Amino acid sequence: MNLDFSWLADPYYQYWLLRGLGTTILMSVLGLVLMMVIGIAGALIIHLRVPVLATWTTLFVEMFRNTPPLVQLFFLYFMLSEMGLTLTDPATGQRIPIFSGFTCAVLSLGLYNGALAIEIIRSGLLAVPSQTVEGARSLGYSRVQTFRYIELPIGLRLSMPAMTNNVVSLIKTSNQAALVAVADIMYTATQIMLENFRNLEVMIFVWVVYVALSSLAVVAMRYIDRLIRIPGYGAVA
Amino acid sequence: MSMQMRTFILGMIGVPALLALVFLTVYGEQAGAIIARILPRVPMLLTGSADFSSLEGGFVANILISLWSMAIAIVTGAMLGTGLIARSAFVRLPSSLVMNLLRNSPWLVVLFAMLYLLPFEIEIFGFTVSLSPAVKAVIGLALPVTANIAEIFRGGVQAIPSGQWESASSLGYRRLQILRHVVIPQALPLMVPNLMTMYSMLFIGTSLVVVTGANDVLSVARTIIAVDGDAVATAIYIFVLLLFFLFCFPIAILTRRLEHRVGTSHP
Repeated sequence: MNLDFSWLADPYYQYWLLRGLGTTILMSVLGLVLMMVIGIAGALIIHLRVPVLATWTTLFVEMFRNTPPLVQLFFLYFMLSEMGLTLTDPATGQRIPIFSGFTCAVLSLGLYNGALAIEIIRSGLLAVPSQTVEGARSLGYSRVQTFRYIELPIGLRLSMPAMTNNVVSLIKTSNQAALVAVADIMYTATQIMLENFRNLEVMIFVWVVYVALSSLAVVAMRYIDRLIRIPGYGAVA
Repeated sequence: MSMQMRTFILGMIGVPALLALVFLTVYGEQAGAIIARILPRVPMLLTGSADFSSLEGGFVANILISLWSMAIAIVTGAMLGTGLIARSAFVRLPSSLVMNLLRNSPWLVVLFAMLYLLPFEIEIFGFTVSLSPAVKAVIGLALPVTANIAEIFRGGVQAIPSGQWESASSLGYRRLQILRHVVIPQALPLMVPNLMTMYSMLFIGTSLVVVTGANDVLSVARTIIAVDGDAVATAIYIFVLLLFFLFCFPIAILTRRLEHRVGTSHP
């Protein structure tokens, strides 16, 4: 089998791939931010057993955990355009949806991995020693203050290993956005394949890019983990 | 009533209700008309045929693909897992490399790669076996799952105290014999919940099969939308979400119950 990677030298393809890579990274980062927001908010609601909201959050988690992110993405994509949230372009008279494929992809990444993050952060919170929590309560911290200053900082640190997996999963899931025509690196790759028919080589290249991105994320998470470690607390890794 | 049972009832009633609510919000007054339009399409989505006459498409195809991938991946995963705990570095390091590579690659990319890597048909001993998109999907999904199962296998075997190994080897068992007769029977109950979680993930992953052109539920859904117009798209996808949920959620609850019993609940 002879592999031909000469197409990589084409400046036009390089530009495409770089732009695609940029889109993938931007999408992942925005998805990560949304994921953390949803994860922390959801964990707060379930942990403090907020009366009605806790049930809703549980439903939300179970629904997003047990359905494919791809179907969720298609669903969001069509539902948001179905609800008529469109602008009319003054120049061409075309109707453009406010929620583009990119926004939908970020939303779906944030929602799916956010649902997983809620569970992860919640189990991190449960792993905080009860003496620490009781100590804070006896010092006069309110339930919310205990959560904000004691449980969340320790719980988040304890949930770092599982969260690393979730971050990698988010990056890997982000390529599904190519199926709603977001010009990420996966989409760019399929376009290049249509032009030069070097299917295998292009796929190997994309494969390497994703493995590199995931490994980079793992390294970054380990670095963050080391930065925020409380000296003398938790497992020494 | 146990905690899991409560979550189960809550989810089985709550999530369909939630989806129904979304459906009613999106369609408003047209809800009845839309239901009347997609109801005849339900057999199509479930089985790929309009009148349940054949069982080779739609949601049934997803189930079949997931079962085949899982069956293949358990065999290959156990082999790769045995490689991961091999004493010889010549076996262990390549196994670990393959495992990490497969585990870190996105499923969609692997599926795409299989689509182009595998030939249209192969000849074995003079017989021509044609590789249909479904077969390619099965192979493409089995690869990353193999890596995950190998990791589950390794974790399960390492959870068994080393005393078991030592006493068996002092009785004269060889390494593979110990693995087969002593360690694996004890490790299997520990691995089952993880394997079930993996199956759930695999089943959720079968939604990606749409890129290979297999006749799975999403391809059918997209065809129906192309025929019936974008108006039904949201309704069809809500239905597909519901199908996946009703299949995966009971497995998830069962897994949690088993984890509870084996005492290896996730941290």
